[in-house]
Amino acid sequence: MSEWIAIGALGLVAVGIPLGMMAVSAILRPAVPEQGKGATYESGEIPTGTARVQFNIQYYMVALLFVVFDVETVLIFPWTVIYRSALSQGVALSTVLWPMLAFVGILVVGLVWAWRNGAVEWVKSPLANRQKTERNA
Amino acid sequence: MTPDALALQTETVAAWTALAPAILLGLTGLALLGVDTLWPDDPSNAVLAGVAAAGSILSFAVTGWFLVAGTGQASTGGAIALYGDALVVDGMSLFFTLIFTVVTAMVVVAAYDYLDDHSHRAEFYSLTLFAATGMAVMATANSLATVFISLELASLPSYALVAFLKTDRGSVEAGLKYFLIGAVSSAVLAFGISLVYAVTGSLVLGDVAAAIGTPEMAGVLGLGVLMILGGFAFKTASVPFHFWAPEAYEGAPAPISAFLSSASKAAGFAVAFRVFVQAFPLEAVPAGVDWVIAFQVLAVVTMTLGNFAAATQENVKRMLAYSSIGHAGYALIGLAALTAGGPNGDVLGASMAHLLVYGFMNTGAFLFIALVEHWGVGRTFEDYNGLASTAPIAAVAMTVFMFSLAGLPPFGGFLSKYVLFYSAIEAGFWWLAAVGAVNSALSLFYYSRVVKAMWIETPVADFEIESRPVGLYTAVLFAGVGTLLLLPGFGPVIETAQTVAATLF
Repeated sequence: MSEWIAIGALGLVAVGIPLGMMAVSAILRPAVPEQGKGATYESGEIPTGTARVQFNIQYYMVALLFVVFDVETVLIFPWTVIYRSALSQGVALSTVLWPMLAFVGILVVGLVWAWRNGAVEWVKSPLANRQKTERNA
Repeated sequence: MTPDALALQTETVAAWTALAPAILLGLTGLALLGVDTLWPDDPSNAVLAGVAAAGSILSFAVTGWFLVAGTGQASTGGAIALYGDALVVDGMSLFFTLIFTVVTAMVVVAAYDYLDDHSHRAEFYSLTLFAATGMAVMATANSLATVFISLELASLPSYALVAFLKTDRGSVEAGLKYFLIGAVSSAVLAFGISLVYAVTGSLVLGDVAAAIGTPEMAGVLGLGVLMILGGFAFKTASVPFHFWAPEAYEGAPAPISAFLSSASKAAGFAVAFRVFVQAFPLEAVPAGVDWVIAFQVLAVVTMTLGNFAAATQENVKRMLAYSSIGHAGYALIGLAALTAGGPNGDVLGASMAHLLVYGFMNTGAFLFIALVEHWGVGRTFEDYNGLASTAPIAAVAMTVFMFSLAGLPPFGGFLSKYVLFYSAIEAGFWWLAAVGAVNSALSLFYYSRVVKAMWIETPVADFEIESRPVGLYTAVLFAGVGTLLLLPGFGPVIETAQTVAATLF
């Protein structure tokens, strides 16, 4: 059980250090309340507008299509790492290349289908546009 | 990079062709997307249904050819393991693929009429084919990782298909319920797999079985096995994860109800059979992990609950949904009546044969519901009154399905149930067979209510049947003929099933 005691001690220290730092600084620092300190930090810029911005629901489709490329990357990365060494060790080009081409091909079929069926077409709603200008005015 | 690490990529061309049925199903799904890509505005329903049916029938033919030619069976050198043992093609996987492909073919042919006035037809057919691909892979999955992935590949299109009638509240509600319960049970399954991996250090079923004998951490292993069982109970619509089934089957488009309650259920059994028999063999599991007892409890509870609930329904589709739960209980006997050294191949084979017959009769029954929905007749027993006088041929087919589901003698369902119960007695579990027989007798009550309504009662309201949809009729009659032909043809079926099941032990 000794290693569990060590882990418990680590946990105690991990919680204790930040708590201690905050406590010490709370005791030492002078209290100078100021309006600028309460503002949202925007990398030094003066913040404009509110953080509650509504995104268009159509970004949802874009996000879905993004997942296609995201997953694609996850498989392509390890594949590129072994690609060269596999070839140099005498594995046939077709055995290394074809599975990846088939994989990408399947994704391309899906992407082209989504594109043709209007998944990336940006639908403009006159009503939403009007409301937007009214809100901004 | 050692040559061993690359072994995965040095398969011969001949070996992967054993996966042709699954590959064909997947390619057909992609081809359907291709059709929709070329004509995105108005893809012809006939072309889509034709491509989908052709693909699934081709896959069925290839599977049948493999099964007859002995691919992956003892006569040609045994099971074909692929991709570092992640997939294995053997007699059992081909037998189950046969069920999936024939059900898929019937469903897409019936959907041709059902989807007549719907949009997004290409999505419907391609999602069906992708789900079928997932099922075909489930039957071949030989590693817990591929089990999980293929189960998800079969489930995700199913969620969308259940909610296909976007403007129908019942369909959307059913889709949401199915999805939520599916998500929970997937999580349970994944957690169970992780626990088994923690104890045995492998995901490949054979290696799990080899490492399982060590009594160290038997409690964790038992918990993992139990959770995996829960994940499969969802897919097969067995207690305790059965309660999505009545809602999902009732709300879904009827061809999808047929697809889920036949093919999807069979896929769940395919993967459960392989995982439990191969990864947790009875001879090797530690004493605390006796999963057969769990299956005995589940089988009895599932068949009793399904049949009693079915007897109280007023809605025919919902009644069939509960009867489908009851049949899951019968099929569970295949795992519940196993003993170390018993006639295990016979028991498991009988369960597989029952699932094949069930694939025909249950798909047919749900497609008859699709036909009735197409006509716009109501959904309760009363609404079926006098249907036989207006649509006699379809009513005859439905009568065949009902009596076959109940297990009456001159139909396929009688022999498959008889062999199933007989094999349970043979294995020493006479009480499982007794519970099954009592439940079958009860089921005759509610199945015959449909028959009585159609043939004997007089219609309460006048209704006109203005169309005889070709696709739906073809599918229903095909299922009916299949159910009838499985009576004389049951000999080779059960022989094949028990032979391929025996090689698993």
